[in-house]
Amino acid sequence: MSVVKRPSQKSKWYIPGILTGLKITMKHMLFNLTHRKEMMTINYPEEKYQYSDRFKGNHILTVKKDGSIRCTACMLCATYCPAECISITAAEHDDPTVEKFPISYEIDILRCVFCGFCEEACPVDAIRMGPEHQTAAIAGERFIYDITRLAYRPENKGGVLSKVDDEERHRRGL
Amino acid sequence: MPKVTINGKSIDVEAGTSVIKAAQLLNIPIAHYCWHEGLSVAGACRMCLVEVEKNPKLQIACNLPVTDGMVVHTENEKVKDAVKWSLDFHLINHPLDCPICDQAGECKLQDYYMNYGLYNPEMAERKQKKNKAVSLGDRVVLDQERCILCSRCVRFTNEVTKTYELGIFNRGDRSVLSTFENRPLNNNYSVNTVDICPVGALTSKDFRFKQRVWFLKDFESVCNGCSTGCNVKVSYNNNGVFRLRPKVNKEVNGFWMCDEGRDVYKFVNKEYRLDQVVENKVKGKPMALALQEIGQKIKGQNLAVVVTGQYTVEEYDAFFELFAGKLKNVKFYHWMGNEENFESFDGILLRGDKNPNTQGLLKSMKKHGIKAGNWKDFESAVVKKEMQMTVVAAPENQKAYPEMKSRMKTFENAGEVIWLSSCSSEDFNNFKWQIPMKSYLEKTGTFVNFKGIEQKIKANVKIIPDAVDLVQLSAALGESIGVMR
Repeated sequence: MSVVKRPSQKSKWYIPGILTGLKITMKHMLFNLTHRKEMMTINYPEEKYQYSDRFKGNHILTVKKDGSIRCTACMLCATYCPAECISITAAEHDDPTVEKFPISYEIDILRCVFCGFCEEACPVDAIRMGPEHQTAAIAGERFIYDITRLAYRPENKGGVLSKVDDEERHRRGL
Repeated sequence: MPKVTINGKSIDVEAGTSVIKAAQLLNIPIAHYCWHEGLSVAGACRMCLVEVEKNPKLQIACNLPVTDGMVVHTENEKVKDAVKWSLDFHLINHPLDCPICDQAGECKLQDYYMNYGLYNPEMAERKQKKNKAVSLGDRVVLDQERCILCSRCVRFTNEVTKTYELGIFNRGDRSVLSTFENRPLNNNYSVNTVDICPVGALTSKDFRFKQRVWFLKDFESVCNGCSTGCNVKVSYNNNGVFRLRPKVNKEVNGFWMCDEGRDVYKFVNKEYRLDQVVENKVKGKPMALALQEIGQKIKGQNLAVVVTGQYTVEEYDAFFELFAGKLKNVKFYHWMGNEENFESFDGILLRGDKNPNTQGLLKSMKKHGIKAGNWKDFESAVVKKEMQMTVVAAPENQKAYPEMKSRMKTFENAGEVIWLSSCSSEDFNNFKWQIPMKSYLEKTGTFVNFKGIEQKIKANVKIIPDAVDLVQLSAALGESIGVMR
């Protein structure tokens, strides 16, 4: 048997509590109206917050000097990925100095946990976590990023150059 | 029998046994590249150095016969140091290709570097550049930079296949492995060179870049490409089966398998398979319902049963128990396949009898008192219209039946055909029924090879969930006919 406890006479003194709350709200509102620059929030999506370049957001596939994709399809990122969101199909390249390259490279961004292990595992600086972070989209397939999106999206301005250059390594005799 | 002590463990071995072989019997690993049990000794890699007591210098274990009272150490500092710097010499000109090398993950260079090496590569000189991705033949690609010149593949073509295609050319650090002019590596055992290559210099064109090896799991099975019944290791993952490699079995296949046998994983994969029951070209009838319908139709009909040697002994027993034991008016025909060259043998492994279990089929038929006709008998029976229905236990390996296409006409005139097959093909569309069967990697049973050696196979993958084997099929049919519980 449950006993319902009726509110006591004392709790009817709620009006001072509400007034205290309203006071705090009004204080902040008036402060924000008069000090616009010191506001804690931004007017998203009209205003966007600029993260630092080192922010680990959406992935970027880097490119070589000739603009082709740097990835060698070694699958180390796919092996290391704890969310198993990377799927790569390797193929043989016509150029014998390249040998292996990804014919498809897809990241399921909804599964990605943004741990950055792929970036860490990559032996040739082919994948990086970029500064972009907005992943909203309407259609489901927009969340599976392919090579065109990862390497050649407009934000990359024609492709981000990889730091590891095979030609350079060959010249040094490595 | 000389007695040898390796790392404190003693063993009696036959005179003339090498130390590395004795260590193998004791399960003591000794690093090696050039030594292979199935080939002659080369002593080229200098990795198997061991310390023999009362001997001032380290000796190579592969070329050192055991003598009585020999005491060998393989794990002390002196040996480890020697192996480490041997490895350094191997790696001087080895490119840093591991990310794009198919061998990575099962490479002996990687293994030994982690076990013995872990040094800082200190060469000031540049690496020698050689040719990459050289096609040696239809199935093998060579990377000359990765080659460590162990000469295993050269000895293989000289000693096992006796085709002498490969050789090592030039001298010093310019030495390269290559084929002779206009003589590509096209023998039927060429992919074995890929298996025995301890590094990634030789890679298989078929498997190249398909999967990284650490994504694959292995299980053991028996090749169903011919009646030799080579033991194989099957590499698979969730995406299907990717390659077959030989497993050592000295009684059956030794260390090798043929290139034709390397392809017998292909028809197991999803894209080649019949995945559902097909009735009059329409897919989708549930298996249980289809078998019930067939069982009711079969009752009292004149039946012809065509069997091939591609199923297991257990399946034949169940199948014949129903069709020979419980049903009347049944005639049996044995479709051998590749009849023209049925008895041929290439001298190493490959036989003309392309069925893994012809002996098992014959045994099972004898057990059930069946006298089966051959193909000509079946043809004449079709002409005379002796049967109203025909059950065909069709082969899963269609490549082994080159005459298959030309024989479809005969089957089409053989009444109502129930075609039991693991593969799908447009040729079968004229048959009334197509029942999806399990492939040899999906079922448990026994294959009997040409010598009469019984070999077990185990179900390890599940590719078509609806498929049945002959045991399940016979049970379901028997139940529907009403002759079995």
